[in-house]
Amino acid sequence: MSIGWALVGVLVIAGLGALGAVATGSRGRALVAGVSTAGVGVFGVLAGVSALGGEAFSKTIPQLLPLSEVTVTVDALSGLFCALIGGVAVIAGLYNIGYSDGHGSRTGQSLLPLFVAAMILVPAAGNVTTFLVLWEVMALVSLMLVLAEHRLRPSVRDAGVWYAAMTHAGLVAILLGLVLFASKAGGESFTALRDADLSTTTRSVIFVLVFVGFGSKAGMVPLHVWLPRAHPEAPSPVSALMSAAMVKLGLYGVLRVGLDLLGGGPRWWWLLVLVAGGVSALFGVLQASVAVDLKRLLGYSTTENMGLILLGVGAGGMFAADGNRTLGSLLIAAGLLHALNHAGFKTLLFLGAGSVLRATGLRDLDRLGGLVSRMPATTALFGVGALAAAALPPGNGFVSEWLLLQGLIHGLPGADAVVAVAMPLAVGVVALTAGLGVATFVKAFGTGFLARPRSEEAAGAKESPRTMRFAMLVAAAVCAGLAISPASLGPALTRVLEALPTVRDGSPLEGGVTLRLTGIAGSISPVLILAGLFVAGLLVVVLVRRGLPRRESLVWGCGGTRLDPRMEYTATSFAEPLTRVFDDVLRPEHDVDVTHHAESQYLIESVRYRQRVDDRVEAALYPPVLAAGNKLGAVLSRLQNGSVHRYLALGLGGLIVVLVVVGLTA
Amino acid sequence: MTQLLYLICGGLLLSSVMVLWRRELSAIVRLLVVQGVLLGALALVLAGRLDSVELVVVAIGVVALKAVLVPRILRRVLRDGNEARETEPLVNVTASIVAAAFLILLAYAASRPLVRLSPSAETQAVPVGLAMVLLGFFVLVTRRRALSQIVGFLLLDNGIAATAFLITGGVPGIVELAVSLDVLLVVLVLQVLTARLRTTFGGTDIDELRELHD
Repeated sequence: MSIGWALVGVLVIAGLGALGAVATGSRGRALVAGVSTAGVGVFGVLAGVSALGGEAFSKTIPQLLPLSEVTVTVDALSGLFCALIGGVAVIAGLYNIGYSDGHGSRTGQSLLPLFVAAMILVPAAGNVTTFLVLWEVMALVSLMLVLAEHRLRPSVRDAGVWYAAMTHAGLVAILLGLVLFASKAGGESFTALRDADLSTTTRSVIFVLVFVGFGSKAGMVPLHVWLPRAHPEAPSPVSALMSAAMVKLGLYGVLRVGLDLLGGGPRWWWLLVLVAGGVSALFGVLQASVAVDLKRLLGYSTTENMGLILLGVGAGGMFAADGNRTLGSLLIAAGLLHALNHAGFKTLLFLGAGSVLRATGLRDLDRLGGLVSRMPATTALFGVGALAAAALPPGNGFVSEWLLLQGLIHGLPGADAVVAVAMPLAVGVVALTAGLGVATFVKAFGTGFLARPRSEEAAGAKESPRTMRFAMLVAAAVCAGLAISPASLGPALTRVLEALPTVRDGSPLEGGVTLRLTGIAGSISPVLILAGLFVAGLLVVVLVRRGLPRRESLVWGCGGTRLDPRMEYTATSFAEPLTRVFDDVLRPEHDVDVTHHAESQYLIESVRYRQRVDDRVEAALYPPVLAAGNKLGAVLSRLQNGSVHRYLALGLGGLIVVLVVVGLTA
Repeated sequence: MTQLLYLICGGLLLSSVMVLWRRELSAIVRLLVVQGVLLGALALVLAGRLDSVELVVVAIGVVALKAVLVPRILRRVLRDGNEARETEPLVNVTASIVAAAFLILLAYAASRPLVRLSPSAETQAVPVGLAMVLLGFFVLVTRRRALSQIVGFLLLDNGIAATAFLITGGVPGIVELAVSLDVLLVVLVLQVLTARLRTTFGGTDIDELRELHD
């Protein structure tokens, strides 16, 4: 199918779906919204796959936007992101049918297909105005979706305010950057921007501006503060869409503007990207490892993974700027592959968390537990996602992180001082992130799903309906496919890299069963790893069965015979060693309340212990900014005294000032 | 023909300044009628200069709307109320005339680059349109009565229309139609607002609205 018709399909189905969801009553609404969202996703995947197959599409519709025109251009880079977003949307749409059945709000359900359509069209934009309009539509619709459950929890409002402020600050940065770019280039179509001849200073200003904007969308530290608030508070299919798909558009923006439109640029740009990515990865995984709210944990994990992706892109851009295209293309391919993998497992994990939330009403890991016997399918599927997110073989996250490490390690020989310092540090960051990632997901899976339930809600959990399980199964299958056969994506990734003129260099990944890296010595065979693990597991089971007689007895309980759920490891206690090790970074707040007996202060009635780990970056950077904003607001509100004449006088005054300036300067 | 054009523009400017000078609200409405007719005449003159039939139609529309329909609505507002005069403007009449002189100067100064761009007879007259916009804005800022607000708004709109005629020989017909409908709608809305003000506050001093401030 041609890309143009697929995009028309995206628009038509999104429109029909939104209208349909508005028109239907509460019973069929989730079905209409879910099916149309999945339909929009299918067309997104079709458009993306056509583009990845080598088809290109370009169309200009004049006079649709005032003072500009709508330009749609799809190349392989756009195609990758269209396909990624479409894929996530198919799964989230199917899941929504069961998840929101009977209680989805009219606004929330009808906006779902529109949100997906906006996201799919953002990478298809072919000029600055189209891009910015779609970007803003996406931001606004996602904001309304975050606020969908505002009647249920007051914290939703707070998350919405943070998200609105941050996404618009990001938009302002992108707007400034791209408008500056377009004005200096003398045209706003991406072709004109590509051919523009600008000074290095202008290019650098543009790059830093758009990187700040796109970085905030990608959840980059220190602009990540909205992410661990908004993603948890949104309804779970929306969380999956935002965390797996929307943040990737930040990556798209960096690649499109940095590597394509600006054509590479000096090395320090990419060093900046690399450092920002590394800091985000470390900070994200640290916060995730101590988080107790399951969805917040997943949100921080998104910051971590986007950090790893940016780290790969930054390192790739650095090598490409140095002229080493082999490594450049390999690292960027690793980043893109990780983006795909992250989209797969983060969808699965957020949907799993949504199932838990729906069954128990809880996101607090400390109060969950024991779901393995109550929700076996959800547990197994969440386990698959956790394995992938922990970057352990045979999960799909492992392959891309391995690629990333390969690229970083092979950059060392013959490197100059900057690379020689940056690369080992980056390897260290990736290694530490991977290690903490394992701890994070062992915690999430172990304390959330295994052992005995620690609350009545968890004890009364029931398995999710079939459509939800099916959607998660699809996500798990996608993860498995990505894990087993990453090499099959080689040709597609090659085409994507061809869209980036400064890193274009043959195909970085080849092979069928074994994934071979071209240019450097390195190969990996996920299938053989899987087979090896399977055989080893089989051997262990067989040997243990044969060697020892089975005996059933109680777990040793320190002499006590009755084991209580309160003796279990909770998420907080599991993370306690990590909290201690990283005490200087995390600065947890401890509260110990000791209540003494009324008769004697030597006897203690009760002890309460509370621990809170706040986001330190947020606590350090944001209060001064907020205070300054409040002060400015208080001053400006004095201008507003309710007199219509004063408002009109302000308008006239402004007009006169403009005219005087024009008259004097002309 | 050029002389006629300048005469019409002079008439437009004079009528705008006289809106500031007169306090009798019924006289101000009469001035608006004059201005509507002059605007129609301007369109007709331009139609002759540019050989455009469309402009003739526009001219008829302008006269019908601005010289007949809108003044009729305004007279009805006047008849319903008991405020025949703009009693205490925020800036008194003498000061208003001085300010108007400055605004007109500013308009001429600011539109110099435009005139220089293509120094034809029409563009020479563009500052008049800009001056009308500024004067209309000035009326909005300094006059208290709700009816004066409508007048200020209409003055502003006339200025925009005059500028559009002089620069481009009128905007496309569909835009002209839309703008005219907007003007009519705004006048109707303001008429309703005036009536509400009168029932709520007993007068139509729009500064009373300050009480609605939170």
